[in-house]
Amino acid sequence: MSRWGGLPSGPWAARYRGGWLAAGIGLLLLFPLSSPDAFFLDVFTTGFLLAAFAASWDVVGGVSGQITLGHALPFGAAAYACALLTSLAGWPLPLAVAAAILLAAAMGTGIGALSAPLAGPFVALLTLALGEIAHEAAVGNTFFSGPGGYAWGGEGGIPVALPWRDAPPFSSYYAALAFLCIASFGMLRFSRSGAGLILRAVAGSPITAQASGVPIARFKRLAFTVGSAFAGAAGAGFVIHVGRATATDLSLELSFQAATFAAVGGRGTIVGPVVAALVLHVLFQGLSLSPSTRVLLYSMTLLVTLRFFPGGVVGTARDLASRLGGKEGTRTPRGRVRNRNGGGTP
Amino acid sequence: MASPLPQMLLDGLFTGGTYALMAAGMALILGVVKVINLSHGAFFTLGAYVAYALAERGVETPLAAAPLAAVIAFAFGVFLGKSFINPARKHPFALPVGTLACALLFEQSAQMVWGPHPLSIEAGDPWIGPGGLVIRRWGVIAFLSSAVLLGGLKWVLSARPGLPLRLIAEDEEIAGSLGMDVEAIRYTTFGGACAMAAAAGALLSPSGAVTPTMGRAPLLLSLVVVIVAGMDSVAAIFLLSIGLGIFGNACAWLLSPQWSYVALLAAVCLLLSARPAGLVVQACRRDG
Repeated sequence: MSRWGGLPSGPWAARYRGGWLAAGIGLLLLFPLSSPDAFFLDVFTTGFLLAAFAASWDVVGGVSGQITLGHALPFGAAAYACALLTSLAGWPLPLAVAAAILLAAAMGTGIGALSAPLAGPFVALLTLALGEIAHEAAVGNTFFSGPGGYAWGGEGGIPVALPWRDAPPFSSYYAALAFLCIASFGMLRFSRSGAGLILRAVAGSPITAQASGVPIARFKRLAFTVGSAFAGAAGAGFVIHVGRATATDLSLELSFQAATFAAVGGRGTIVGPVVAALVLHVLFQGLSLSPSTRVLLYSMTLLVTLRFFPGGVVGTARDLASRLGGKEGTRTPRGRVRNRNGGGTP
Repeated sequence: MASPLPQMLLDGLFTGGTYALMAAGMALILGVVKVINLSHGAFFTLGAYVAYALAERGVETPLAAAPLAAVIAFAFGVFLGKSFINPARKHPFALPVGTLACALLFEQSAQMVWGPHPLSIEAGDPWIGPGGLVIRRWGVIAFLSSAVLLGGLKWVLSARPGLPLRLIAEDEEIAGSLGMDVEAIRYTTFGGACAMAAAAGALLSPSGAVTPTMGRAPLLLSLVVVIVAGMDSVAAIFLLSIGLGIFGNACAWLLSPQWSYVALLAAVCLLLSARPAGLVVQACRRDG
C-alpha cells in the first residue's frame, strides 16, 4: 500500500493527528489574548457550543447510524428548561442546568424508544416530525405566560436568569472552549468504548448485529440518550451564553445544520464534525451573513459534499492523506468502512 | 347563521382533492425511485409562486399557471433526479438529508426573491350556493383539474405506457434485463412527480397565503397518505387526501390554522409508531 515501505511518514499521518489537535487547541487558547474584537470572541463562543452540538449529533447519526433530523429537540428543550427553571421557578443555575440535561437525556430515551423499530429514512421522518411539533409548540404565543401579565414565549423567547451580569466575553470564550473539549473527549471515549463499537456494528448492519445477539433496540436507545444528553448540555450552555431561549433553538434548520457539519466533517468521527462546525460557523457568521443566507450556504455545502465527497470533506482528505502518508491510514478503518456503507440500510 | 359544517366539508373536499395530486406524485417517487422525497413540498411552493408571479403580470388564472409550473418543476426535478437522487441512492444517509437540503435551499431562495411575508392571489368572487354556502370558484376548478389529472395517471399506469413504471416498481433487475433504461425512467418519473406537486401548488395558490414554508404541511399530508394508503391505488390516495383535507380544515376551523400542521405532524409520529414495518416491508419486498 505504501511507497515508503510502511514507514510512518508525512505530516498528516494518523500518529501525528493528536499533535495537530493540540496545536489547534493551543491556537484557540491564544486567540483571545491577541485582543480581538468582542464580536469575533462571540462568534467563536457560539461556534464552540454548536460544535459540541454537532458532535452530539454524530453520536446518534454517525456512530450509530440513526439519521436524526430532530436533534434540535433535546438542545432546545434543555435551553427552554434552563430558562423556565431559572426565571419562572427561581431555581439556582447549576440545579437548572442539571435538570435540563436530565430532561434532554430522558427525551433522548423516549425518541430512541419510538424510533428503535424503524429503519433508515423513517427514523429521519419521525425525528423531523417530533422536532417540528416542539418548534410549533414553542412558536405559539399562548403556551407560556410569565408573571406580571405579559406573555412569555413565542417569537420573543424566554429570558434566563443568570447569577452574574454581563460576563466578560473572554471568560465566556474560555468556558465554552473548555466545555467543548470536555464534551468532545467524553463523546470520543464513548464512541470508542465497547458500547460505541457495538453501535457501529448496528449502524453497519442491524441484522448482522441482531444475529450476533446484540439487543439492537436497547443500543439504539442508548445512542439517543447519550447524544441527547450532550445536545442538552450544549443547549444549556447556549442559552446561558445568549441569555434567552427562543423557538430557533428548536428549529428544523438547527437540526439540519448539525447534520451538515457531520456530513462535511465525516460521520462517525466526532472530531470531524467539531472541526467542520468551527470552520463553517466562524466563516459564515464571521462574515455577518443573514440567517437565511447562512441556511442557503449550509444547504449548498451539504449538497456538494453529499454529491462529491460521500465520506465527508475531512474524511476524503484524510483518506487521501493516509494514502500519501503510508500505512498509518489503516488505523482508521472503522470510519472508512462505515462511510462507504452508510447507515442502517432498510 | 348557517351551520359551518357544510362549508368546512366543501372547502376540505376541494383542498384535499388537489392535495391528492401531490400525494400521488409522492407515491410514484416512492414506488419507482424508492426514495422518500423531503423536497416534494418545495415543488408545491414553487408552483404557488409561479402562479403568484403570473397573477402579478395580469394572468390571473391558475389554469395557465399550472402547466407552466409543471414544466419548470419537471425541468428541476429531472436535474435533481439525474444529478443527485440517482447517484446518491446507494447512500441511505444522503437521501433524507440531501432532499431536506434541497427543500431548505428552495425555501431560502424563495424568501430572498419574494420576501418572507405571506402573499395572496386575487381569487375572484365566489359563487353563493343554497343556504349561504360559499363555493370558491378556483376551489371547484382545482378540484376538477386534479380529478382529471389523477384519472389520466390511473389510466396511464394501468395501460401499456405505464408498464415500465409498474415493472420497475416490482423488480428493477428484470426491467433492466428487458432492455429498459431504468435510470432514465427513474429520473423522468421523479421529474413528473415534481411536476404534479407544482401543478397542485399552482392550482391551490388562490385559496391561501403564499409563503416560503407553505409546502411543509402538504408534504406531511402526502407522507401520511402514502404511509396509510400505500402506493398502489390512485383511488385510495384520492379518497384519503380528501379525508385529510377535511380533517385539516376542521382543525384550522376549530382550533387555529397552526394546529392543522401540528395535527399532521402528530399523525406522522403516530402512524410510524403504530405500523413501523408497514411501508418498509412493502419497499423491501419490491427491492428484493
